[in-house]
Amino acid sequence: MTMDPNGKMDAHLTEPELFTLALPPAGEPEALPRHLSECPGCSRAFSEWKAAVRELADEEPEALQRRTPEQWDALADKTLAAVRRSRIGGRRFSVRWGLAAAAVAAFFAIAVPLWRARPASPRPAVKEAASTLSAEDQADDALLQDVARLTRSEDETSRLWSSLAPEPSSTEDDRL
Amino acid sequence: MKRGFLAALLLIAGLGLYAQDWDGKWWKNSRLAEEIGLTSEQGDKIEKVFVRSRPVLIDLRADLEKKQFFLQQAMEERSAPREDLEAKMEAVEDARAALQKARQRMLLDIRQVLKPEQWQKLVQRRQELRARVQEQRQMNNARPPARKQR
Repeated sequence: MTMDPNGKMDAHLTEPELFTLALPPAGEPEALPRHLSECPGCSRAFSEWKAAVRELADEEPEALQRRTPEQWDALADKTLAAVRRSRIGGRRFSVRWGLAAAAVAAFFAIAVPLWRARPASPRPAVKEAASTLSAEDQADDALLQDVARLTRSEDETSRLWSSLAPEPSSTEDDRL
Repeated sequence: MKRGFLAALLLIAGLGLYAQDWDGKWWKNSRLAEEIGLTSEQGDKIEKVFVRSRPVLIDLRADLEKKQFFLQQAMEERSAPREDLEAKMEAVEDARAALQKARQRMLLDIRQVLKPEQWQKLVQRRQELRARVQEQRQMNNARPPARKQR
């Protein structure tokens, strides 16, 4: 929430706020602010965010993996266009546009890993059958990815080292 | 410009998922298996190779993580003797080398199951994906930071 130029309280929800509401932290109940039920613009924008979350959450990992870059583009465009449409007529649309783009990017960067890491929930039988990786396979998969990560040079220890002793800058190199 | 920036971020996220899958049980992923023409018999053989390697990988991963933890603890203690730190660093690198060797042995066994052209395709596809992720990251980093709009 921000103050408008006249000094009045502007209670429109920002895109990051809508994003957080659409994807609440795991295990926390979804608490919706009163403003959402009073402001049609924010309410419509919130619905678009929820629809985008549902679209990803309904997909099986395989389908998610099959998405081509063009499909990711299309989903981003669709979400952005829908959020933009919901804001048309809203006085702060142009100011929020950049923020919306950043928030959508953050949403996809966070939502996909979050969705993949979420605990298993009861799902329709058809969806169960479509899944190819069993729980055991998923654990094995995590083991193999862990092993690959640990054997790469950029691991936890390397990161710890670089934070404790940053690499010398080029000017320092020149001096040596 | 904004759309391009967003598309780049999404592409990285998407490619990142693909690249991760090649590190995992790729032979269980029908799409990836299809890409290199893996038969179900080959898939079963690869699974057996992995099952044989699994206990070794689990033990060595635990050993490396334990040693990394000890080193991290020692490094955070400013008073830790240098010899002690060096010994712990050595232990971490030895553990990492042991894990790397075990992984490579498993990969060698997997390679035995595949036809040369399948292996070639697997390696090539994996490299392509990694290069694309890297390229997109660099392009993204090279973009000037967006102007603050508020």
